[in-house]
Amino acid sequence: MEKANVKKSVVAEAEQIQLAIQMIKLGARLQLLEAQTSLSRERLIKLYKELKGVSPPKGMLPFSTDWFLTWQPNIHSSIFMNIYNYLVEHADVKDITAIIKAYSLYLQQIGHDSDDEPVLSMTRAWTLVRFIESKMLKLHTCSCCGGKFVVNAYDLNQNYYCNLCHIPSRAGKTKKAKEMTYKMVTVAA
Amino acid sequence: MNENEMMSEIRDANLNYLMLAQQMIRADKATAIFRLGISKDIADLLEGLSNLQILKLASNNMMLARFRFEDGAILSMLTDYTKDRALANSHTAILLSGQEA
Repeated sequence: MEKANVKKSVVAEAEQIQLAIQMIKLGARLQLLEAQTSLSRERLIKLYKELKGVSPPKGMLPFSTDWFLTWQPNIHSSIFMNIYNYLVEHADVKDITAIIKAYSLYLQQIGHDSDDEPVLSMTRAWTLVRFIESKMLKLHTCSCCGGKFVVNAYDLNQNYYCNLCHIPSRAGKTKKAKEMTYKMVTVAA
Repeated sequence: MNENEMMSEIRDANLNYLMLAQQMIRADKATAIFRLGISKDIADLLEGLSNLQILKLASNNMMLARFRFEDGAILSMLTDYTKDRALANSHTAILLSGQEA
């Protein structure tokens, strides 16, 4: 992923702003915008405030690979990564365009509504692609269903069973999930 | 439903499929390639078909689109999710997008 070459072209700048708007709408953090567009930090902050109504969150980006390996995040990361790979391989798109398209498809795939946070954020999706490119994480085939899932590249993954074929006993039984089923039941009743 | 009706339903389905596919490709090619599970060459071809060509292609008594699961074991696993429909959808998404075009 390279920065677009900085030329004083109005059209190029407009394109960069469009790209930034698209990413902000999908929930990208400032660091991601800085890395993927040629706009200055000041302009990006201004743009962010205008679109979101608040200042961009400060602090470092999440940098641990472990998050992608826990149960629910792993499923969501795997969905995103499979979509991304498919697009790169078959649809002739790459870099940030592929990430944006794959992320939009991911949101539609999980039936996301705009009220709550999706499990995998745009920033995490971007980080995931970078982790895979730097070979810290990789996709591995499940020996049961044959689907490809995100795993740690340095783990021993012979006879790997994915999180969906082999659901850990306490998986998904969070407070939030309980509330959700409660809501579903009351709606259905 | 008698045999003639069934064949005309198949032709309808073919026509619907081709028209929908063409619309999807024209709206956003990359997304359409993913959703339809086709290769770029086929997408380019479908995009350029004229209405007459689509009609000709659709008026066949055999289904033009193929079922995307070929492994019976996996299909039955996906349909047998009893508890959580969202999980079944996730699993289906991963398996379908892992396939070749």
